[in-house]
Amino acid sequence: MAVDTIDQPAKSAASQDSRFQRYRVRTGMFAWMAHRLSGLALVAYLVVHVWGLRALTDRASFNELIAGYHAPIFKIGEFLLLAAVVYHALNGFRIVLIDFLGWSPNQKRLFWALGGVAAVLIVVGGYPTISSLIDYFFLAA
Amino acid sequence: MASRAASTSNAQSWFLHRITGTFLIFMLITHFWVQHYDQQTATISHDVLSTEQIENDVLPGYTPEAEAAVEARFGETAEVTPHDVVMLRLADPVYAVLWKAFNILFLIVALHHGFYGLNNVMSDYIRNPMARKTAKVLSWSLALVLFVVGTYSVLVAGW
Ligand code: HEM
Ligand code: HEM
Repeated sequence: MAVDTIDQPAKSAASQDSRFQRYRVRTGMFAWMAHRLSGLALVAYLVVHVWGLRALTDRASFNELIAGYHAPIFKIGEFLLLAAVVYHALNGFRIVLIDFLGWSPNQKRLFWALGGVAAVLIVVGGYPTISSLIDYFFLAA
Repeated sequence: MASRAASTSNAQSWFLHRITGTFLIFMLITHFWVQHYDQQTATISHDVLSTEQIENDVLPGYTPEAEAAVEARFGETAEVTPHDVVMLRLADPVYAVLWKAFNILFLIVALHHGFYGLNNVMSDYIRNPMARKTAKVLSWSLALVLFVVGTYSVLVAGW
């Protein structure tokens, strides 16, 4: 888990070992890695997003910005952004439930149940974007 | 760094990180609803524009609901552009203040959660204390700049 490790001894044999183990792929490891990667992707997005929103104060440049976001590559990005948000939100919610409610459910079952909810949200929420991309690439005259 | 002080404040920040995460669920749902799904206010439409169209200043098309709302607000001859659609909220005579407040609160919570998380990740991988401190100062400075810039844009737009 990602607590600050600043007070830990740096280089005993033991910490070398445990550092090595951290990278072994186990079941919960996937959930954790994906949470971390989606979190970092969202931070990157937020920086670009807020910086771009400087255009809000000028009609012409805002319209240019938003028109640009309707290019196919950004529409694909929009779908990936939805996937990152949904995964990070639901997995984060799972962590909060376990931490705050002291819940000790069947961890694997909870993970897969929320995974199912995430898949539905991504498919339903992403449907308009994906279908307009399909129109654009395959059906447009 | 004094280890006791450091671990107390870490526990508080860790707790706060969970609180901000929980808040973000509600704020992101609102944000996505407004930006993508509400037929009247969605900034992003379902159009996909080609490079030529974008170069020729073609704008995405909006729903009849959005057109009607923009014309009701800004006059029958108003053009329905992305900016006008956003101004339905940010220049609303009554609710603009609430939307601006929501955006600024969202901005603060997202920046806090995101940059605290980023610092967690960085201190997992950066072992050198000096480098870690530098990364911390630089990343929080970026967050501060984004807070100032973001607050300014959302306050000035439409007022
Ligand atoms: C949608 C609501 C969200 C929830 C419920 C949520 C929840 C969480 C939780 C509980 C953690 C701590 C994980 C741990 O300590 O193991 C976390 C980490 C993190 N979050 Fe979020 N979060 C949300 C949205 C966001 C957003 C919008 C961003 C980006 C701006 C973000 C960026 C991060 C980052 C970078 C981390 C650190 C990852 C790590 O330490 O491995 N999160 N989130
Ligand atoms: C493709 C998806 C998105 C679109 C089209 C979008 C669009 C916008 C627009 C047009 C605004 C201007 C204010 C307003 O309209 O009320 C805004 C503000 C904001 N958005 Fe997004 N957004 C998206 C995704 C996100 C995500 C995923 C996050 C969180 C990581 C986010 C965080 C924010 C914040 C914090 C503000 C307030 C900024 C400020 O006050 O300057 N947005 N967004």
